[in-house]
Amino acid sequence: MKQFGKLLSYLGIAFLTLSISILLILLVGSSVTQAFSSFLSGIFGSFYSVSEVMVKATPLILTGLGVAVGSRSGFINIGAEGQLYMGAIAVTFIAFWLNDLPAMVMIPLVILGGFVFGGIWSVIPGFLKARFGISEVITTLMFNYIALSIVGILVRTLLKDPASSLPMSAFLPDGATLPTLISTTRLHAGILVALISVVLVWLLVWKTPTGYEMRAVGLNPRASKCAGISVYKNIILSSLISGGLAGIAGVCEVSGLHHKLLEGISPGYGYIAIIVALLGKNHPVGVVISALGIAALQVGSLGMQRMAGVPTSISSIIMGVVVLLILARKSLFRRLLTDE
Amino acid sequence: MALLSMKNISKSFFGKMANSQVCFDLEPGEIHALLGENGAGKTTLMNILYGIYSRDSGDIFWKGQKVSFTSPRDAIAFQIGMVHQHFMLVPTLTVSQNITLGLKEKGYPFTDRKALNATITEVAQKYGLQIDVNAYISNLSVGEQQRVEIIKLLYRDAELLILDEPTAMLTPQETEYFFEVLRKLRADGHSVIIITHRIPEIMSISDRVTVLRDGYNVVTAKTSDISEQELSRYMIGRQLQIIQREAVVSDTGSEGISLEEVSLKEKGRERLNSLSLQIAPGEIVGVAGVDGNGQKELVEVILGIRKQSSGKIRMDGVDMSSMSVLERKKLGIGYISDDRHQDGLVMDMSLTDNILLKTHTDRRFIKHGLINTRLVRAETQKAVEDYAIKTPGLNTPLRYLSGGNQQKLILAREMAGNPKAIIAHQPTRGLDIGATEFVQQQLLQHRSNGCSILLISADLEEVLLLSDRIAVLYKGCFMGIFPNTPELNLSQIGLLMAGKTSEARKESL
Repeated sequence: MKQFGKLLSYLGIAFLTLSISILLILLVGSSVTQAFSSFLSGIFGSFYSVSEVMVKATPLILTGLGVAVGSRSGFINIGAEGQLYMGAIAVTFIAFWLNDLPAMVMIPLVILGGFVFGGIWSVIPGFLKARFGISEVITTLMFNYIALSIVGILVRTLLKDPASSLPMSAFLPDGATLPTLISTTRLHAGILVALISVVLVWLLVWKTPTGYEMRAVGLNPRASKCAGISVYKNIILSSLISGGLAGIAGVCEVSGLHHKLLEGISPGYGYIAIIVALLGKNHPVGVVISALGIAALQVGSLGMQRMAGVPTSISSIIMGVVVLLILARKSLFRRLLTDE
Repeated sequence: MALLSMKNISKSFFGKMANSQVCFDLEPGEIHALLGENGAGKTTLMNILYGIYSRDSGDIFWKGQKVSFTSPRDAIAFQIGMVHQHFMLVPTLTVSQNITLGLKEKGYPFTDRKALNATITEVAQKYGLQIDVNAYISNLSVGEQQRVEIIKLLYRDAELLILDEPTAMLTPQETEYFFEVLRKLRADGHSVIIITHRIPEIMSISDRVTVLRDGYNVVTAKTSDISEQELSRYMIGRQLQIIQREAVVSDTGSEGISLEEVSLKEKGRERLNSLSLQIAPGEIVGVAGVDGNGQKELVEVILGIRKQSSGKIRMDGVDMSSMSVLERKKLGIGYISDDRHQDGLVMDMSLTDNILLKTHTDRRFIKHGLINTRLVRAETQKAVEDYAIKTPGLNTPLRYLSGGNQQKLILAREMAGNPKAIIAHQPTRGLDIGATEFVQQQLLQHRSNGCSILLISADLEEVLLLSDRIAVLYKGCFMGIFPNTPELNLSQIGLLMAGKTSEARKESL
């Protein structure tokens, strides 16, 4: 009965989302059937479109995973966007600084560098929270603006490609680029990095004593303290990992996709990451599923715009609707969920 | 005609009946006690009346009129007021502000505070409730806060007062004073429902009593027609076991736990003042005192959760004053906190994960850097069986277990591996009689195994029942440490708990 009610409530959310999408499509004056068929063919229509979903999902998985790890120990990381850019800076710096290293050495090095840079960007707010109780929601958010500005400065000065008049770096040396997995697509090895991270994070958080401490601190810091678990240490650690993962997302975007540093490599992945973590219930597997879902929504809506003339901004509205409905689920469907 | 009449009230939570066909009548101007163990459904019944819970079935009649409240606001409009076990006061506001909170008084939002204060004082004095209307709630004792709650209801013209476990935190003297107030209220035509599980209090204050057990009402009787023994039999459905304390002679030669002039200063205030105490192996030292006189601080200083400002704490001669919580626990200290929801358990974690809270650093449970889930599950299964913990499964979040079963899990965890010392702070708070007996027997069991036990309880009866010696704590000082013999002067202890040293000295002469 309980499971059934839960299922019904999710079906209710799906139904409401669908109704609102139909309304929106009618509102912009497009044909609903055409819009939906172009949405679906935008995702599943070709080999390339499916691979595009994975390309978009890669940074979402990594940043979403980072936000999820933070949330598990009570570190609300709004700063994945900035941490992603710090990772992107790291890979560009390292690649040009040690430009003749072979890929075998270079790739692990840039991933590590991205982890460290992103991690530092998140450990500073983590330290401020653990030591002085300053809200990480504010500090991580503010750090986003700083990171974006640093990128802006770097691509115009230190890292600027002298051969171009645009504010961007030169192309990375070959050793620092992630290989493309399938030649006719943009799908790169970043997706593998993301999936390996998922497994590692799952092991760390759910199977090790350290991960146990992080979860306990997130759920009840007071009881953790009384049991002799250091709240300070665990917030620092989880903020480091949280930002580090977002940093790796930045590495993958630069090394795998753009092959150079420029402003706007992320269309807000770091913010969508919060939604990814929320929908994925802060669980690694859930994060993968919700990242794929959101990536598909975005790719599909591109198809919808191309073929049915429905603006892509509809996908953002739908994403917002889904989040709202999920947050409000327990009150909306109270009668179905008396036992929850 | 009955003032209030509740007929065939039923309510279930998670498929478990909390109230089944309960009937309850209240006459005007009577003090009616609602007696039952924890979990018998007393508070549920009153919360249904007060509009906090909705009932599954049944009817409520107030002055003969059928009513149905959907929120406390409705109930207050009908002149019914309730004081909850945990007070609903805003600590940063004054007494007067708390009393008028949520009311739109004349001239709102520019209220004439002076006029209000005069009215409040008038109401309070009528019933002998002394209070400073301009004091901040955070500076008041529990007894005073309770007065504020009652004045709050009287100020709202409550005709019926529902009091949930009102004496749980009071000293014997404060309780007597409190009962005087209730008698004055009754004389003035108010009716009172008092929820409690303390039978002697019922005998002294109530006109009638209704006993609930497992959600059913067992009996309603005039208090003068019923004896304490009958009441306890109705309440628990069997005779109480008498707990016997046998003398324990310890020959382990170890020193147990000792405090040497331990002081704690926090935010400029002296929380603990030069406390010295030794608890020998096989000894239970009970700390009597009103909540908030340094009990929590004492416990947490011993555990290392707070750091003492001066003094030394030793365990078997080992100075652990500067050790971390974890290091101290590894010396063999079990800790039962007074606040299991906040301090003792992670409510959203499973049974297994809560067992891990103490054992996750234990090498036995770690294999190749990973937690050995199978072993932890086996350990948890053993705890569930040994302590008869009722749970749907090992993966159930603790939140869904009853208070007694949650406490049993803490016991299982903290008493595992024969600890050398146990710090038990309110170990039976909120437990029913069966679970209380169990916890007390466990403590005595460990006492005979040579464990040094510090027992802190707001329930003086419990301290008297279990302790070999009794220390009275008042404002962070030990007012005296007495051997617990039949000659112990109880009213002297009561006076010391209230800090009345000179009167206590007279008493002892």
